[in-house]
Amino acid sequence: MARLDLADVGHSYVPDAAEERWALKPLRLTFEDARTYALVGPSGCGKSTLLGILSGLVTPSRGRVLFDGADVTDLPTKARNIAQVFQFPVIYRSMTVYDNLAFPLRCRRWDRARIDAKVRQVAEALDLGGRLRQQARRLTADDKQLISLGRGLVRDDVAALLMDEPLTTIDPQLKFTLRRKIREITEQFRPTVIYVTHDQYEAMSFAQELLVMDGGRVVQQGTPEQLFEAPSSTYVGWFIGSPPMNFLTVEHAREGLSLGGRPLAAAWDAPQVTARPQVGIRPEYVRIVTEPGANTFPARLRGVQDHGAQRVLEVDLAGQPVRAKVPREDGVPGVEEFLVHLPRTKILPYVDGRLATLP
Amino acid sequence: MPRLYPAFKYTVIALWACFVAGPFMWAATTSFKDANAVQGGATYLPWLQYEPTATGWRNIFGGSGGVDVLGPFLNSALVTVAASAISLVLGSLAAYGLSRFRYRAGFVKNSDIVFFFVSQRIMPPVVLVVPFFYLLQVAGLLDTVPGLVIVTVALLLPIAVWVMVDFFNGIPREIDEMAMLDGCNPLTAFTRAILPNSLPGLTVAAMFCAVFGWNDFFFAFRLTFTEIQTLPQAIVALNSSIPPWWTLSAAALFGISPLVLLAIWVERYLSKGNLSGAIR
Ligand SMILES: Nc1ncnc2c1ncn2[C@@H]1O[C@H](COP(=O)(O)OP(=O)(O)OP(=O)(O)O)[C@@H](O)[C@H]1O
Ligand SMILES: [Mg+2]
Repeated sequence: MARLDLADVGHSYVPDAAEERWALKPLRLTFEDARTYALVGPSGCGKSTLLGILSGLVTPSRGRVLFDGADVTDLPTKARNIAQVFQFPVIYRSMTVYDNLAFPLRCRRWDRARIDAKVRQVAEALDLGGRLRQQARRLTADDKQLISLGRGLVRDDVAALLMDEPLTTIDPQLKFTLRRKIREITEQFRPTVIYVTHDQYEAMSFAQELLVMDGGRVVQQGTPEQLFEAPSSTYVGWFIGSPPMNFLTVEHAREGLSLGGRPLAAAWDAPQVTARPQVGIRPEYVRIVTEPGANTFPARLRGVQDHGAQRVLEVDLAGQPVRAKVPREDGVPGVEEFLVHLPRTKILPYVDGRLATLP
Repeated sequence: MPRLYPAFKYTVIALWACFVAGPFMWAATTSFKDANAVQGGATYLPWLQYEPTATGWRNIFGGSGGVDVLGPFLNSALVTVAASAISLVLGSLAAYGLSRFRYRAGFVKNSDIVFFFVSQRIMPPVVLVVPFFYLLQVAGLLDTVPGLVIVTVALLLPIAVWVMVDFFNGIPREIDEMAMLDGCNPLTAFTRAILPNSLPGLTVAAMFCAVFGWNDFFFAFRLTFTEIQTLPQAIVALNSSIPPWWTLSAAALFGISPLVLLAIWVERYLSKGNLSGAIR
């Protein structure tokens, strides 16, 4: 239950490395109190390093870490009061399930009745209630991960709850329920939650705000809606969304832009640059139409992917690949050549891979 | 062709087993012979080829003409157990530090420190015995059990450190990190989270310590005289110009019996799979 600030924090595991090669490039970040954040990004982009710096397991090469304004950079992990769940189960092998869950509370000298109540509540929520007396090491890997998770959730006075891909190893069936359980438990004491995941659906459904990382930098921070509607770079557009955002190279014309020789109208003025701009549009907004009109372009079908309730049509538009995500009922166009409509308000301009400022 | 391989494999195993078991067979039969039977050429079948007697065995437990090996046996046991226990405690603490923290003194790094420990065993024992003698003399510990324990600890510690550093390096750091997050300091993290995971490593280290400690003859021989005698010394002392082979055989078998029992026990433990995959 704290606001976490990273002031100019950067980290390199290799001493004296050039800043370009740091695992985490110096950054400034604020995690507001009682908010839920998801950290997404490819493997090796520095997510775990960022968590480690917050929990004190990693001492940053540079910068200060502040909890509620107080400098904790030099405080050891124990003094920071952070709960953290790792990707792989870590348990106290010599203890029972109950003792595993109670251990963090005993270390902090809670009184027995309070420990008991809390352990039972968390165990109940995670469906471990019937196995409290069992030796933790005899449980299956999935159940061990539940214990790890439970140990992260028992302390209701933590400054923050950090979860590093806690459900990656869990059976997909269980994932969904567990995500809800984690939410339920955290709702009660509302800590600042930072949740690392590879799974963008998990991120979007779990967190109020997402941070997309790449190469040791936070490339965009925003709500799921912001990341979906206005990715700050082609990278974010590509990383968030399934299938990823379409990016089309367009030409400057006398009046605005043109695509494949036809005018392309947008809700903004064409960026005043010499480089050839790109426009981005989410597959969800690309429409298959029959009537020609503004922003409609002839297209040719290349392939179809069935996504259950939806279909992804891969089409060729003026020599560039475009994906359209259409409801299943719409069916697949019966002809090879048809028209594609790019709604004017859904087109975004990108220059050199970054979102050009909208007027 | 594929049939030939198992045949070959088992032949080699059988030959090797004979090679290993041969001396034990020899010692076992000899320990039940008397002087006549020993001189009568190689014989192996009791009652048929020779008349078994228990003279050899009686001699080592205080029978006439022999000695009582029980006292030396207890001394050996005391020195081995005490020195192994101290080495395991100190060794695993040192190993934990070397595995988890980074030390640096000039160009000396963790790996150099570990090698320094191991290098103690590379040196020939003769090099060490004079300084040990001098140090024990200064401390007034020559010819005492504590003195022998201290020297044995110095011999066993490198083994314990070496085995345990390797073992701790294989335990994921997340385990320590979890304990620290839960509110442990480095020492309680070690005792509460790491040690319970370390039984396999400790077992192996204890095995090595026990074997090396139990088998030490050289240092005990040089650093004790009249008051204290360990088992290897006592067995060697049984020898004379006409070797009493039956007594020597009985003493040798008796001397290795604790290690044989230990090996059988650890082997059962190993075969239950308790020593592998212990971490997660
Ligand atoms: N202990 C370490 N020593 C040296 N380099 C490290 C260490 N831990 C991580 N790194 C490096 O730092 C970079 C960032 O690693 P980090 O673990 O933070 O990535 P991540 O985003 O958590 O990746 P993943 O999704 O695979 O968990 C990687 O290039 C990694 O190789
Ligand atoms: Mg990671």
